[in-house]
Amino acid sequence: MGDAKVLADHSAHAITLRGTSKTYGPVTALHPIDLTVDKGEFLTLLGPSGSGKTTLLNLIAGAIGPTTGTILLDERDITRMPPRERGIGMVFQNYALMPHMTVFENVAYPLRVRREHPKAIRAKVMESLDRVGLRGLEDRKPRQLSGGQQQRVGIARCIVYSPAIIMMDEPLGALDKNLREQMQGEIKRLHKELGTTIIYVTHDQEEALNMSDRICLLSGGQIVQLGSPDELYFQPRSRFVAEFIGESNLISGRVIGNDRMKIAEDRFILVPKAERIEKSEHLVMVRPEKVRISKLDENTAEGDNVLSGEVVSSSFIGGMTRVTINTENGLSITAKMVSARAHSRPEPASKVRLCWSPSDSVVLEN
Amino acid sequence: MNRSSTIGAQAIFMSPAVLLAATIMLPPLFFILYTSVHGTSLSLHEYREIASSSLFRRTLGTTLVIAVASSVLSVFLAFIVAVHLARQTARRRTILLVLVLLPLWTSILVKCFAFTIILGRDGILNGILSWLFNTKIQLPLVLNRIGLFVGLTNSLVPIAVFPILASVLAIDDSVYRAASIMGAKPARILRTITIPLSLPGILAGLFTTFVYSLGAYIVPSLLGGPRDQMLSNLVDFYNRQVLDWPRAAAISVVLLAMISVFGTPLAFWRQRKGIGGARV
Repeated sequence: MGDAKVLADHSAHAITLRGTSKTYGPVTALHPIDLTVDKGEFLTLLGPSGSGKTTLLNLIAGAIGPTTGTILLDERDITRMPPRERGIGMVFQNYALMPHMTVFENVAYPLRVRREHPKAIRAKVMESLDRVGLRGLEDRKPRQLSGGQQQRVGIARCIVYSPAIIMMDEPLGALDKNLREQMQGEIKRLHKELGTTIIYVTHDQEEALNMSDRICLLSGGQIVQLGSPDELYFQPRSRFVAEFIGESNLISGRVIGNDRMKIAEDRFILVPKAERIEKSEHLVMVRPEKVRISKLDENTAEGDNVLSGEVVSSSFIGGMTRVTINTENGLSITAKMVSARAHSRPEPASKVRLCWSPSDSVVLEN
Repeated sequence: MNRSSTIGAQAIFMSPAVLLAATIMLPPLFFILYTSVHGTSLSLHEYREIASSSLFRRTLGTTLVIAVASSVLSVFLAFIVAVHLARQTARRRTILLVLVLLPLWTSILVKCFAFTIILGRDGILNGILSWLFNTKIQLPLVLNRIGLFVGLTNSLVPIAVFPILASVLAIDDSVYRAASIMGAKPARILRTITIPLSLPGILAGLFTTFVYSLGAYIVPSLLGGPRDQMLSNLVDFYNRQVLDWPRAAAISVVLLAMISVFGTPLAFWRQRKGIGGARV
């Protein structure tokens, strides 16, 4: 991977998009966006279907051309360059392996395209099969492999020619949950070992949170928020982000001073200090796992937000228990807590007190 | 519904057609077989005769050469058509497929006369060439092998297009995308992906057109020359010129046997893989 290092010193950006957009007649698939991806970064394009994440991927891969804007690959303008000259690697959701070729031939394909020496091809193919744990299966045909193994071939075929960027289009979408988690770990390991830039497309937020250096959350053909998994989870900017990533309680309120909000029935809650427009309406987000439930007679910590209410439902979902509470001032709040045995879990219709720290309240920018 | 009862139901629905076809087809075929062995004497004399006849051997050779060449040529042309069709939108493809089928809906006799007018010594093509080069051009394009191949491929290409198109359409589009992203140029994609993956369709097309052209009769007699006569024409020769019916019958039986030998694997193949015919 010495070559990759030299390149990395040369410039920090693997991909730069400037005002890139795509429209199909009257339909806008992607509004003009600016985006830079650093060398060696693991960037995830996350969003619901139709959000433009696949359009963005296809623009970078060259499967479609942009309506406006430019795309730079390592400072080189590739806006109008055909896919085969871009030197990008791609892993597909449906694997896209050549069904008539063996595993070896599939992985050797990009090297044969590059007319490498048969000896070099053999060595590289074996090394890359080693990396994905498929050594010994090189003579099988794709249809003789499981889904997970086929995708490993897809990945081996990609890393074998050391492309500057690897794009992964929902690569684990067709696999079952356990295998998906295992493969997530393997892709992360490969990313670390190889130092390649990876652009990963998924609609699975857990996958995105687990794997990415940065997440680019898209909706309606626009970037809604771009940041680290931490930022997106703990500092969502909008209601969409808060609701798309993780679970959230949204409480509407009106700004009073720089650290208080007035919510339903003239109750007040404390929020982190910031300059806000007096009396403007905002949503406050609190993650369910940050909400603590206590009995009415228990003391709460000084300075916490406290509401009381009645338990509506309590569902035991393994490690966590999800409790829904209707508060006295008419809000429905969900709290998530580490599961306890049935006799000590909150029972429906019991009266409880809710509290959370002001620092766990996030005031959304609408 | 399970498989065996489906077959049972199919048998009930098919049997009237099968019976009718058998009643009409089998007696004449048996009569030909009967004639070829001189009736109840069951003599193999005619078969021994044709085995040693140089006319028969030469015609058999011509027939095989023409059948192989015309099926290869037709499949080559049909492959180009099929790959082009596969790239069109479904709507456009349907319209273009009607154009492909058009020659099949025209009487082969009419088409042969049309080709005579187009390709003849003073035909349309030679006329255009003469006008273009301002000199009298009379290229021999009919009553020879060129005319024969033009006529045969014209009727064989549509037959070959369908199985090949089915194979080409079955190739997953993302395989092409993957190859292209990995740096493969169109020529390499054609050689390493399109052709190998459409091989079942290409083979089905080859067999079908080969079997069709083995029994060609009208095209060689109207567009071919004296040295392009095939086994069917030889049957006609013994039948109408020499009036040697047992000989004609024996040649017919040999021809029928050849067609059955090459056609049977195709029938099994279609049943198993569902390629060919009306599946597009």
